[in-house]
Amino acid sequence: MLALEFPPIENLVEWPAYFGDGEFFAFNKIALISVLAVVIPTVLFLLAKKEMVPRGLQNICESAIEFVENQVIMSAIGPEGLKYLPMLLSMFLFVFFGNIFEVIPTFQMPANARMANPLVLALITWATFIYVGFKHHGIGYLKEVMVPPGVPKALLPVVIPIEFLSTFLLRPFGLAVRLFANLLAGHILLVTFGVLCIAVWRLDAMAILVPFSFATLVALTGFEVMVSFIQAFVFALLTAVYINSSIHTH
Amino acid sequence: MSFIVLAAEASAETKNPVLPVVSEMFWGAVTFTALYLLVKFVLLPPFKRTMSDRAATIAADKDAAELARQQVASADSDVVDQLAGTRAEAAAIIEQAREEAEVERTRLVGRAEREVQAMRDLADTELSSARDKAMQGMKPQVSELAAGAASRVLNRQVSLSEAQPVIDRHLANQN
Repeated sequence: MLALEFPPIENLVEWPAYFGDGEFFAFNKIALISVLAVVIPTVLFLLAKKEMVPRGLQNICESAIEFVENQVIMSAIGPEGLKYLPMLLSMFLFVFFGNIFEVIPTFQMPANARMANPLVLALITWATFIYVGFKHHGIGYLKEVMVPPGVPKALLPVVIPIEFLSTFLLRPFGLAVRLFANLLAGHILLVTFGVLCIAVWRLDAMAILVPFSFATLVALTGFEVMVSFIQAFVFALLTAVYINSSIHTH
Repeated sequence: MSFIVLAAEASAETKNPVLPVVSEMFWGAVTFTALYLLVKFVLLPPFKRTMSDRAATIAADKDAAELARQQVASADSDVVDQLAGTRAEAAAIIEQAREEAEVERTRLVGRAEREVQAMRDLADTELSSARDKAMQGMKPQVSELAAGAASRVLNRQVSLSEAQPVIDRHLANQN
């Protein structure tokens, strides 16, 4: 009725390679955003002055550091988790800047709306919390994780596979899918309302609806900025929670 | 069943957009590793140093402020103690001065009273002497007047020698 032409999903998330097409190092828009997610925080942190009284850019950088320190590490692990600050800060910044390109004109695509980056980060988290577990408990880590205290021995054949699956397979899978699905859904939502604006604009009879659909698009864009931040926070926080669960298994 | 077969054929021809792409994973891993190394060795240390220095400066300033506050409180207490001591000392001096003044006043009043008494005694003596002298000086005239007055009253001549003893007795009684 509205003559909507919603683009196929492939057109929304798949991007042609700028170079190396077909190779393992094919460089497309997602790779460019990943590179920018490194370059932007690096430039910001390098440009910020390091003065006793913080101002401007230094305030923003220190706020990010303190946010990860206090809201992620101290709340999930405690003081002993402060040694993971570089990793958790990197994750927070990488996810946030990967997400925020959803609302930046000409890009309008979050790197994490593709499964690759969330999966890589989830695998890094997975490797990290397993490493931390073995480091703190040795080989007994496996028993600590898979044999919860107080479970009757008769139930162990059922509980052990469940715990193994939930800890070693579902955790990284859930971490990756949560980030990917949230960003993909947000991306599709913005595209939907963008297409809706164009469609009602073309139909003279429905042109009166343009302000409403455009206002919704603007509101959703603001919402996506919030989602970008929240998803970065959630990813870093869950990573910290998993590391903490490897340090304090019970 | 035919739907599943068709879907499988279709998926064989087009890539599933949900599945991860190796090249994107490669760049994701490379860029995240780069960011981690940059954050760990280049970007974070200066900030941590600055923040640590700031925390140390704030702690030192707070300690100095607390020390200064304690010193002020101590000095205040000293001033109060000194003031109390000074007040007690002043009160003791005032009391001592009052006692000394009382002693001096008693001494001076006693001396003044003695002097006044001596002057009064002297004046009395002088007065008594003057009166006696005056009486002695007036006695012949008074005797003559008294004898004359008696002669008139009695209608006879009263001699001075006759009247003299009565006059003397009368004058003696006046004293």
